[in-house]
Amino acid sequence: MIFIATFYSHFGAMRCKKECDKAGISARLMPVPRMLSSSCGTCVRIESEDAERIPRTEESEQIAAEEAGGYRILWKAEES
Amino acid sequence: MKGSKEKLQIIIAGLLIGVVAAVLVLLGNPANMGFCIACFIRDTAGALGLHRAAAVQYLRPEIIGIILGSFLFALGKKEFSPRGGSSPMTRLLLGFFAMIGCLMFLGCPFRMILRMAGGDLNALLGLLGFAAGIGCGVIYLKRGYSLKRTYKLPASEGGTLPAVALFLLILLLALPSLLLFTEEGGGPGAKHAAIWISLLAGVIVGGLAQRTRLCMVGGIRDAILFKEFKLLFGFIAIFAAALVTNLVLTAATSGTYFNLGLEGQPVAHMDGLWNALGMLLAGFACVLLGGCPLRQLVLAGEGNTDSALTVVGLLLGAAFAHNFGLASSAQGPTDNGKIAVIFGIIVVIAIGEFNLASNRKKG
Repeated sequence: MIFIATFYSHFGAMRCKKECDKAGISARLMPVPRMLSSSCGTCVRIESEDAERIPRTEESEQIAAEEAGGYRILWKAEES
Repeated sequence: MKGSKEKLQIIIAGLLIGVVAAVLVLLGNPANMGFCIACFIRDTAGALGLHRAAAVQYLRPEIIGIILGSFLFALGKKEFSPRGGSSPMTRLLLGFFAMIGCLMFLGCPFRMILRMAGGDLNALLGLLGFAAGIGCGVIYLKRGYSLKRTYKLPASEGGTLPAVALFLLILLLALPSLLLFTEEGGGPGAKHAAIWISLLAGVIVGGLAQRTRLCMVGGIRDAILFKEFKLLFGFIAIFAAALVTNLVLTAATSGTYFNLGLEGQPVAHMDGLWNALGMLLAGFACVLLGGCPLRQLVLAGEGNTDSALTVVGLLLGAAFAHNFGLASSAQGPTDNGKIAVIFGIIVVIAIGEFNLASNRKKG
């Protein structure tokens, strides 16, 4: 499955990507898709069978699953 | 599929914005200045008496329109999201110095495109400096620069800047005697389209920029960071549409809207080094802010109070630039302005370094 993890900063996305690389999860940095947020910035596109494996940091904002025609929000940080 | 639709929307928005900007000049705005976020915030600072440069005083409805356009579109699409708390003072300072850079060049990144579309080759050196500044900012992003997260805030916080914009509009319409205006023939501040046309143009641009996240800095930043050119297409579309409109207007009217060359360009100077360094400072500061001055207005309209404070920083920078002789004129940059730009670049580097150091400490 494809997941998109968004962050409050580019730094957060870089850290997540590094964690994914360490864990052997396929991930790449890209701009946040417009359908997911009106904020521009960097997200991590992750290929994984399980959303729970996606590393979360204090800069994590949300995790969404890519679906036909859009995204389904799976998790959102508190107070976001 | 999703990506190509997004790209098409950005291109269409860019084309519309380019036409609107060029037509505003026909309707009264200064040449090659259908839109200039830096100049228009500077004019607004003048109208409010924050500086006394008599040539640049007018409460520009375009700025009000962009904030309100973004606010209304965000409300309509349920994207109005009051938030803040992401290093507000750092953002204010970066906004301040972004304005110092813009007023050295005599235009924000948006006007830089419009100047190129009007044939002003001085703006090419600005573009070179702008891209270099974005490159500097990207180095900091890659090294781990972060202004930290935002937090959800009450609607009253996020709605403050749109409310201020509405108040300024009422002031302009109902109590203009409280404001300062450049006298007829007294400078760029005296040149403007009718209030309602400027306001409508601002609402259109603000709305389109909200829907597409159009950003002059984001285009080059994403191209460097991800080899992703979507936002850059918006940048190119604005240029192409404004260029074609300028050529058509030159052919169809008695006015000159396109004049290729370095000399005699409107509201511009020919000092290439300082055109480039001014835009380097603007590009560098804007990457660390996360967006160009237009984007800051749009985000502020969406309820982002950090961007609202950045707009305050831009306003303060404009006032300082004219109170202390930092802004360039058609005669060229001032010595004070050169010192301020160098100082600004040092401050932005220091912000980047302190930020990295504090992130490293946190681990």
